[in-house]
Formats: sequence, structure tokens, C-alpha cells
Amino acid sequence: MGGSQEFDRRGLLGGAGALLFAGASSAKDLGLGPSIHFGLTPVFLTNDLELLGRLEGYLERFTGFPVTLVTRRTYQEITALLTSRQLDAAWICGYPFVAHREELRLVAVPLWRGKPLYQSYIIVEQDRKAENFTDLRDDIHAFSDPDSNSGFLVTRTLMAEQGLRPENFFSRFFFTYGHRNVIRAVASGLAGSGSVDGYVYDVVAGIEPNLTKGTRILRRSELLGFPPIAAPRSPIDEGRLSALTRALLTISTDPDGRAVLDMLRLDGFMAESPTLFDTIAAKAALVGQAG
Amino acid sequence: MLSRLNPRSWPITVKVPLAVAVLMILVALLLSERVLAGLTETQARHLRDLAQSYLDGLSSAVGPSILREDTWEVFDAIERAQELNKSLRPLETIVTNADGQVIAASNPRRHPIGSPLGNRQQALSSPDQSFSFEAGADTASAVRKLSYPGRTVGLIHAVFDTRHLAAERRNVILALITTNGALTLLLAAAGWILVARMMRPVRVLTGHLGLARDTSAVPIASNIVARQRGEFGRLFRAYNALVHSMEEHDALVKKLAEEERLGSLGRLASALAHEINNPLGGLFNALATLKSHGHLAHVRTNAIGLLDRGLLGIRDVVRTTLAVYRTERIARDFAATDINDLQLLITPEARRKSVTIVVANGIHGTIGLSSTPVRQAILNLLLNAVAASPDGAEVALSAEIRGGALSIMVADRGPGLPEFAAEILCGSLPAAPWRDGGGLGLWTTRRVITELGGHIDVERPPSGGTVLHLILPLKRAEELPHVA
Repeated sequence: MGGSQEFDRRGLLGGAGALLFAGASSAKDLGLGPSIHFGLTPVFLTNDLELLGRLEGYLERFTGFPVTLVTRRTYQEITALLTSRQLDAAWICGYPFVAHREELRLVAVPLWRGKPLYQSYIIVEQDRKAENFTDLRDDIHAFSDPDSNSGFLVTRTLMAEQGLRPENFFSRFFFTYGHRNVIRAVASGLAGSGSVDGYVYDVVAGIEPNLTKGTRILRRSELLGFPPIAAPRSPIDEGRLSALTRALLTISTDPDGRAVLDMLRLDGFMAESPTLFDTIAAKAALVGQAG
Repeated sequence: MLSRLNPRSWPITVKVPLAVAVLMILVALLLSERVLAGLTETQARHLRDLAQSYLDGLSSAVGPSILREDTWEVFDAIERAQELNKSLRPLETIVTNADGQVIAASNPRRHPIGSPLGNRQQALSSPDQSFSFEAGADTASAVRKLSYPGRTVGLIHAVFDTRHLAAERRNVILALITTNGALTLLLAAAGWILVARMMRPVRVLTGHLGLARDTSAVPIASNIVARQRGEFGRLFRAYNALVHSMEEHDALVKKLAEEERLGSLGRLASALAHEINNPLGGLFNALATLKSHGHLAHVRTNAIGLLDRGLLGIRDVVRTTLAVYRTERIARDFAATDINDLQLLITPEARRKSVTIVVANGIHGTIGLSSTPVRQAILNLLLNAVAASPDGAEVALSAEIRGGALSIMVADRGPGLPEFAAEILCGSLPAAPWRDGGGLGLWTTRRVITELGGHIDVERPPSGGTVLHLILPLKRAEELPHVA
């Protein structure tokens, strides 16, 4: 799996490079102008335009730079833009971060319930009889994203530990490219089970209880490093990155920033050591060895 | 009862509204059929257009995802399409691949991913797009084949909720039934009113004709005639002219009857004159004898005796005449003496024919019947009996009160009352009051008897002759004072 993924990533990097030349003059989003380009992955709760607007407003006001928020359908696309230095920083997942640790530096880690940690959940339908993960054999399983830690890697590792592979263990599996979509897939019965970000699941349970009502958590993983904000190891612009870093680390002291945090149900951002993601790196290594 | 069930015997006021109602129901059925057919066509076309646009949108949204068999994208597209096309009320949408296996369905529990829905053969042979909708059904379905140049990649099956269309159809049917029902009732009622109005003159005429049959003909009131125009007006005037001529006829008949009475009285008077004339010769002879031989005692005594007897006879005749006049002038109740008067009246005629009158008078005092008509009736019967009797025969008259009625019996020894005369007397021959050659007296008698509310029975005893029984009911006690 890892090999093919690597291959895909290279292919995509080439594509992104071509895009850089093609779009440099026309597009504001990918040009290396004075504005901060900040990428967001679908770890993000929703495509809530109000949230995006508020975040953009806060960042622009605090940093003094124009800010462009860049969203894509898959983690892979954002990761590719980041590693190819087309973004000043991006909110990515722990799995791409450890996979590209050589090319990336850690900017900040969100604090959820006071800690830079979260869990991965395996969820099933509410009235399903399953007791543990092995009961899900021959299931239709919904993963979030092949580059997601909580929405793929954790479950994949769990299987690898038992010498299992998704294509053999599950009758069928598919990717929804969004944690909320995993919840929808399981709640609607499209999938019998799903791998989902615990933070997203808990927040959705608070905001949209009707959506999570039809599901229950079958398994919680150990605590893992929260999806971090990362930047290219050699920044595009030191000044812009440090301004962005300050803006994130002090977000909880600003009223606008607090509003953004409230919407995200987060407590703030904190500078952390990359070792926070060692457990995820171990999982990636295990899956890599399993092939 | 059976005749009432036969429609031919129904009144026209029932037949016309019924015919209107039947025609209206036929028209309503025809119209309703057309309306419902039109509605079904409109609903089907509307639904088909909407379904096509729904499937068009969904096809373009899921096309590339079907090629990749991207379950989530297909499912998400279905959910978005169903959400966007709520007005179309999609119940279920299923997307299958070319093998007929479900890629995603709006209800994954019923159609899980990978479950078969038909087979490849069906998928390939199905038309590019099909639509089925049945009027009044709860659902409609549509199928769209997704083809990329030269290759079938999948099928979209969609089921739509059409209960609202069925409800709309039911409402239309209900509206048709109520509207047509109300119209039918209204028109039937209008038909009834119209016919009843048109038939009103006929009813007036029928009523008057019925009255004429039961009692006597009465002309239609002039204000009703004046209101009526057209043929009914002419009919009314013609009817009134008929009634008028009938009245004239009646008056003529009455006059005739009166004259008949006077005629019979005349005959009596002639007989009376004869009665007076007969002794007159004797009386003059006696007077002449007295003048010439009055000095002879036995001649004088004989002459005076003759005069006395002759004058007594004349006095009797005068008394009878007086009795006749008395009854003519004063209305009074019939009395026992009337029977005596009648005997007196008939005696001259009887004597002329050498017929003996035997009277059995069982009446005492007066009875509750008007004298004149009763006397008239009995006298006519007696005259008839005397006329029918052979010389030297006997005519019997008896009168008595029996069962609240005056019962008169007149018996003769004649050849028997002719049949037509008996029919006239008994009132079974109402058409012509008399025939050529007589019967007027009998008819007058019958009129009098009818007016008094009585009747007459004719008996022909085996021994010969005729016995007539005249029964006249007495007036009730309370009516008596008015009679006087």
C-alpha cells in the first residue's frame, strides 16, 4: 500500500508543479505573492463558509497579510501542495505529517479538551450486535481518506497487527473523503461500519445529534497526536510563517479568535515536539511493513 | 300496485324530471370520463417531464462516479438530488452498474451495495429510458440507462411518490360527482317545476271535469281563464262554453219537467171538469123539474136530493182543486192527508178507466219530507199505474214509515212496466231523459226522487203486473226546522 501511495504522491507532485507554472500569473490562491496561503484538509468539520470567513478575517487582521484559505477534496491534494511549497502552511493530518516528516516542520497542534490529542473511532449502526472489531468481518466499511490517520491508518494498523488486509477482511470498502460523510454512510446503512475521527464524531454528536443517533462507537483507539498545522521545512517566507504561527498560538486571547475556536470546539493551539506523532509514525511503519 | 310500477302510468311531472336526470347522468358520465382521461394524461406527462429532468440531473452527477464505482459519490449525489427535487417526491433511487449490481441506493438497507437488481442481460436490453405511471396508483417509476459512447455503464431506477396525484384525482372525481349530482338534481327539479307549471291548466281542467263527473259541471273561474293564454286559454273558454250549454240544457230539462207536471195537472183538471160537467146536466134537470113540478112534494124531495148529491160531488171536486192549489202555494211537510188528496186527485181518472184505487195509508200526522215533490212523484206513479191497468182492474197504493224512510208501494195489474221505463225510473239510464213516444213523466219522477235522495225498485211479481217500491229517506231531526 505504502509503495503505491508513494508512487501516486510523486505523480501528483509532478502535476502540482505543472500547475504552479500554469497558474502563477492568473490565480491568487497558488501564486507566491505577499498573501498567506493556508491549506485546510477535510479533517475540518464542514465547509462552513461562516467559519472560513471568520478564520480568514482573524488571520488577516492579526498577521497584517492577506490570507487565502485553500481547500481540496482529498488530504493528498493538500499534502502535495504543502510539500511542493505552494502553501505557507496547512492543517493536515498526523499521517501525512509523519509520512513527509523530512519535508515538513511542525507549526502548532490544536488543543482539544485541553490536550493536543484525539482518538480514532470505529463506529457501527446503533442496534448492531457487533462486540469487537473481528465481528465486522465481511462488512461494508467506510473509510474517510487513505491519507487520514484516524479515518484509515488506525484501522488499517489494527488489521495489519492481526495479519489482515481490508480487501480480504471486508466484503467491500470505500472512501467518503470526509469524516462527517463516514458518519452519514454508517447512519444511512450504506456502510455497516466506519473509521472516523473521534474529535469530529464527538463534535458532530453535539451539533447534529440526529446524525450520530443511528450510530454507536464500537472501538476507541489510544490517544494520538491531533492533526497538526505544518509548513514546508524551508518556509516560502519566514516572515509570513512566523506571523501565522503567532496568530495561531495566541488565538485564544483574541475575541475573534475565540469565536473561531468556539466554532471548532477547540481550546487553542500549542507548539509541540514532532515526537508527539511518533505513535502514528509507528503505525505507518507497521502498515508499510505489512505491505 | 303493478300499474304504479309501470313507467307508462307515471304522471308526466315524474317522467320528465326522471328523463332529465337520466340524460344528465349519461352526459356526466361521458364528461367525467373525458376529464379523468385528460387529467391522467396531464399528470403522466407532467410527472414524466419532472422524472426525466430528475434523471438528467442525476445522470450527469453520477456518470463519472459510476465509471469509478465510487459508492460514496453516487450515494451523495442521490441524496443531494432527492433533497433538491423534493417537489417530485422521489421515494427511492437506485444506481446499478451494467451487471445490475447496486452501486448505491437511497435506501441502502433495502438495496445494499453489491446486491443484484436484475442482471446484465436485463440492463443491456432495457430501453434507454422508460417511465411507468398508472392513474390513481401510489407510485410511479422511471428507469434511465447510462451510456458512454458505445457502452452501457449503469442504470438509474427511480420510484416516485404519486399519492398526491392519486389524491388530486380522487378530489377531481369527488368534485365531478358532487357537481354533476347537484346539477342533475337542479335540472330535475327545474324540469319538475317547469312541467308542473305547464301542466297546471291541465290540472285545472282535470279537476273541473272530475267535479262535473261527480256532481255538476262548474265553469272555470273567469280570473283563471283571463290569466291563461294560448291553446289552454282557448281550451278553458271552450270548456266554459260547454258548461254553459250544459246549464242551458239542464234549465230546458227542468222547464220540460215543469211543463210535464202542468200537463198532468191539466189532464187532471180536464177530468175534474168532466166530473163537474157530469152532474151539471142532472142538476139542471132537477132544477127544471123543481120549476115545473115543485109543488109536488115527492118530486120536490127527489129533485132536492139530486141537487144535494150533485152539489156534494161538485164540492168534492172543488176541494180537490183547492188542495192542489194549497200545495202549490205553500211549502210544507208531507202529511197523511196528502195520501187522501192523492186518492181524491186520481179518482176521476181512475173512474174514467173503471179502475179501482185501493189505498192503505199507514202514515199519521206529518213526516220530515217536503210535500210537493213527494206528491208529484206518487201522483205520477199512480197515473202511470192507472194508464197501464186494464178496465176494471185494481191499483193498490200503500204508504208507511219503515227504517227512517217513507216507503210507498204502487201495484198494478198491467202488462208490466217496459224495460226502458224501469231503467229510466231506477236511474240506470242517465243519458237520455226520454225517448220518442213518452217516458217524460217517469224521467221527471226519477229527477224528483234523486233530488230527495231516494230510490225506486221495480218488482214484477209472477202473478203479473208491476209493483213499484219508492223509498224516500226522512230528513234528520236537526234539519227539520230549516225545512219548515
